[in-house]
Amino acid sequence: MTTPILEIRNLHARIEEREILKGVNLTIPAGQVHAIMGRNGSGKSTLSYVLAGKEDYEVTEGEILLNGENILDMDPAERAVAGIFLAFQYPIEIPGVATMTFLKAAINAQRKARGEGELSTPDFMRAVKEAGTQLNIDSDMLKRPLNVGFSGGEKKRAEILQMALLKPALCVLDETDSGLDIDALQVVSKGVNALRDANRSMLVITHYQRLLNHIVPDVVHVFSDGRIVESGDKDLALQLEAKGYADFDGALA
Amino acid sequence: MADDYADIPTLKENIDRATVDSVRSLDVDKYKYGFETDIESDMAPKGLSEDTVRFISKKKNEPQWMLDWRLEAYRRFLTMTEPTWAKVHYPQIDLQDMYYYAAPKSSPAPKSLDEVDPALIAMYDKLGVPLKEREILAGVERPKVAVDAVMDSVSVVTTFREELSKVGIIFCSISEAIREYPELVQKYLASVVPVSDNYYATLNSAVFTDGSFVYIPKGVRCPMELSTYFRINEKKTGQFERTLIIAEADSYVSYLEGCTAPMRDEAQLHAAVVELVALDNAEIKYSTVQNWYPGDKDGKGGIYNFVTKRGDCRGANSKISWTQVETGSAITWKYPSCILRGDGSRGEFYSIAISNGYQQVDSGTKMLHLGKNTSSRIIAKGIAAGFSDNTYRGQVSAHAKAKNARNFTQCDSLLIGDKCGAHTVPYIESRNGTAVFEHEATTSKISDDQMFYCQQRGLSEEDAVALIVNGFVRDVLQHLPMEFMVETQKLIAISLEGSVG
Amino acid sequence: MRQTMPVRLGAAEDTLIAQLKSVGADATAERITVAGLPTRRVESYHYTDLKTLLRTIPPLAQAANEASAPALRVPGAYQLMIANGVIQAASTAPAGVIVGKAHGGVLTTRDDVLVHLNGAFAKESLTLTLENSIDPVIQIDRRSEGEAAHVTDSLKVFVADGASAVILETFSGSDAAHVGNHATYIALGKGATVTHITVDLSPRAAAHFASNEYHVGEGAKLRTLAIHAGAGLSRTQLFPRYEGAGAHGDITGLNLVSDGQHADFTMDALHAVPQTTSQPLFKSIARGRGKAVVQGKLVVARDAQKTDAKLMSQGLMLSDEAEILSKPELEIYADDVVCGHGSTCGKLDEESMFYLTSRGIPKEEAETMLVRGFIEELVDPIEDEALAEALHGIIDGWLLGGK
Repeated sequence: MTTPILEIRNLHARIEEREILKGVNLTIPAGQVHAIMGRNGSGKSTLSYVLAGKEDYEVTEGEILLNGENILDMDPAERAVAGIFLAFQYPIEIPGVATMTFLKAAINAQRKARGEGELSTPDFMRAVKEAGTQLNIDSDMLKRPLNVGFSGGEKKRAEILQMALLKPALCVLDETDSGLDIDALQVVSKGVNALRDANRSMLVITHYQRLLNHIVPDVVHVFSDGRIVESGDKDLALQLEAKGYADFDGALA
Repeated sequence: MADDYADIPTLKENIDRATVDSVRSLDVDKYKYGFETDIESDMAPKGLSEDTVRFISKKKNEPQWMLDWRLEAYRRFLTMTEPTWAKVHYPQIDLQDMYYYAAPKSSPAPKSLDEVDPALIAMYDKLGVPLKEREILAGVERPKVAVDAVMDSVSVVTTFREELSKVGIIFCSISEAIREYPELVQKYLASVVPVSDNYYATLNSAVFTDGSFVYIPKGVRCPMELSTYFRINEKKTGQFERTLIIAEADSYVSYLEGCTAPMRDEAQLHAAVVELVALDNAEIKYSTVQNWYPGDKDGKGGIYNFVTKRGDCRGANSKISWTQVETGSAITWKYPSCILRGDGSRGEFYSIAISNGYQQVDSGTKMLHLGKNTSSRIIAKGIAAGFSDNTYRGQVSAHAKAKNARNFTQCDSLLIGDKCGAHTVPYIESRNGTAVFEHEATTSKISDDQMFYCQQRGLSEEDAVALIVNGFVRDVLQHLPMEFMVETQKLIAISLEGSVG
Repeated sequence: MRQTMPVRLGAAEDTLIAQLKSVGADATAERITVAGLPTRRVESYHYTDLKTLLRTIPPLAQAANEASAPALRVPGAYQLMIANGVIQAASTAPAGVIVGKAHGGVLTTRDDVLVHLNGAFAKESLTLTLENSIDPVIQIDRRSEGEAAHVTDSLKVFVADGASAVILETFSGSDAAHVGNHATYIALGKGATVTHITVDLSPRAAAHFASNEYHVGEGAKLRTLAIHAGAGLSRTQLFPRYEGAGAHGDITGLNLVSDGQHADFTMDALHAVPQTTSQPLFKSIARGRGKAVVQGKLVVARDAQKTDAKLMSQGLMLSDEAEILSKPELEIYADDVVCGHGSTCGKLDEESMFYLTSRGIPKEEAETMLVRGFIEELVDPIEDEALAEALHGIIDGWLLGGK
């Protein structure tokens, strides 16, 4: 059996004194797209931060394996180099740092860490332009400071652009549909679907079933009170949409 | 963090109906507390000397240690000079040309309300201060408020003492506390404001006459609001009040302070010291409505209000909150501060300072972050009208050990008319890399659009100003106890009368 | 006010008094004798207590025999040099630039010790008259050379109506404990546009003091950027006066302080007439036990209606022991104004750091990137590319220089 891209075993995590993840188990084989659905406050965004290594959260128990390797001791940059990409729900604005400067720094930092040479400027420009065209991102937007003054849709498209350029093994999409109108949702979904690949896995975190019409998952998990309480195929999302989350509360209790 | 400050007001916010009504129902008199009450007084000889200090101590039947303490303060005072850094100007105060002690002759130490001179009760009634322990008036139940009434140099009466003593709370005049609870007074007096802290505080230490003493025992939540009402009545008399509030661990108290004085041509000095001590998890909420006589329209007379107020968050997770409404006094020099010593302690300062005529205000706060994870919040609203000058002066500092200190400050000034001045002087001192400070200040006038809108709806220019100003200060108003809120809204309107047109 | 306590004078004050008497500046000598150097009790020196910080004053500067290498070269710039207070012969000036000399100092008298001292010690001042728009950057290279010296120099610039210019001043010299007291006076005619940049690159052992006075006429636009990146003790005083309707000033400054350094911007701006605007912006970055000070006062005169002025002071702490002290100040006597100030202070934003590192950028690189982003707002408006590049070089040099 081949090693799954992501394997989470009995993951517990807390912020300050509050335990938020209470024993998450999740395995995503290569090439698969899994969706996590849950109500606000169920801990699903925390899961994305813990995967990316945010310092505020303390893992108290369990393991996260990426391609079979435990990543818990890695800092966020090392995890990114190892192949984790988090598309943020609220991408942060960084004044004074041009988007292009940032993209180049990120690509080259990852290449350098993997022992590859830096991308030449023409190659870099070409890659950005190519990926940008698919996402309706023009060069003006890339000259602006990172995410500063971007509309909700622009921010999400910029996230997917980074994902396309950094070619991660695991894409974690945190509420990527939030704040998007239907047109923007289609552009973003198209961008995501273009990145589906036999060697890449995705974890799509969402509150609504709507996104899953566009990015069709292989497996759907229901998240409640810090753990996965139910798993099924894509129809489970439709069931949830129809019945709400109440039926799943305390399913493991 | 942004959410925490979501309630920062903007001028454009809606102003509720009640405000409109209260503004409309205003009395026409500008300073309705300006009357004199004819009560015979026992006075100290005029002037400041060691003899004056001894006289006061003797009148108060003080123990020797207290007299020694006063004399030490007096000697220190002789070596000090008046501070000049504040943006206030006034003629030299002749400390020899005033009285330091004045007490109503009739009832030196009333045991109960029945023994209090009816003229005094009538005076407080006229001021709107209830000294009778009656709660149900005309079938309407009002929240209980215990009052310590201080006239000139003595506490006239303190209400609800028995009820409070049942839960172990001590609420009495400081003179009485010095005699009855010397160990508490000795332990805490001048532990927050040292004797030689500043010129006026040192003068106060030498000649203070009365004020309130509050002691809340461990774990007790004070069942009612406590308040002190200060009244200056005699001519050429300085008032030197001294207040000390101690909240033991896990206790809570809300304390209110009000003050007025008759209209007189000559300026009178009021130099108070207030000390608050909050121990572990204790909370003290201190609210002031300062309405000393501001002087006449030409700047003659009025109270010089030089006050040192400081709270010490001595215990972990303790909290001290100052709310002040400053509308009176010819000169206000006042910086209610918090020493955030206990880890996790919090200080708050909410202020409305209104100046009109020739009033001068130099007021603000200090938030001194010493402990870890301490936080503070300052909201100051200054309104300058007429020929007045209104300065916010504040200091926020994080000590090298104040890890994760947080401060948010918002200072807004409103100018009404082109002959006044509004000034903002914050000192922001971060000596710790983990501290996060945010400070913002604005100065503007009432927008023509807002005025037009209100006037189009039928409000007179003056009513419109009062209405908009009440909106401007809304964020501070809501931190006042309910009874004070309505009072304050009226007061704002009265203070600004004559400021437009 | 009762000021009866006699002031005890220290070695620095004794030297200053002797030096002042030697040049016949008895009034200033008397002033120092009575008041001493300012302590924290003098409001405008609240955080820069010269009595404590300035322990010795080196001898008055003599004409320099040799000059060290220029600290900053901007390709294409027209360069003038003042070494140890002596104006050096210059190459042919670009068309429209009239170079001259005048006796004495250039600053308007005010109650300030550095201004008094500059006036007392300045023998001659360099004068520039800019008759029309000048293309090349005009660089005034001010040097303190040889043994440690007390150097005083001054510059006066008149910019004609409608003219524009970029003026760069650099301060550098030999590695010695110099005390430099520099003055600049710039008057902008109607509709003139001036960018004035001062960069302190003095050695760590030196103390650098500069006082810049600006008179901004009707419709004139002034942009300034002062950078403290050299001396152990530095203070730049900025005195802009907005004197005609439509006058505008972007007064900006950057404190870069490392362990043991103390850098201070003190601005006292006067909006003297109606309808003037300004947007002062100061940034401080402190590491080690560095101390950065920003005092910024906006004064709006009585009747200076429609003034629109907002000052911002932002501090970035790169170490736990750093200190950033800020005193923004508003003094407003006209009612129809929109004025304000803001002051923030903290360390690098954790959320931004997480975002950058989550993209694979190593921590140190992410920090540098955020610091550069923090500063960018100051350098970005400078249009001359060669100059902007030179300034980026100085900033990067400090950033990557460590400690």
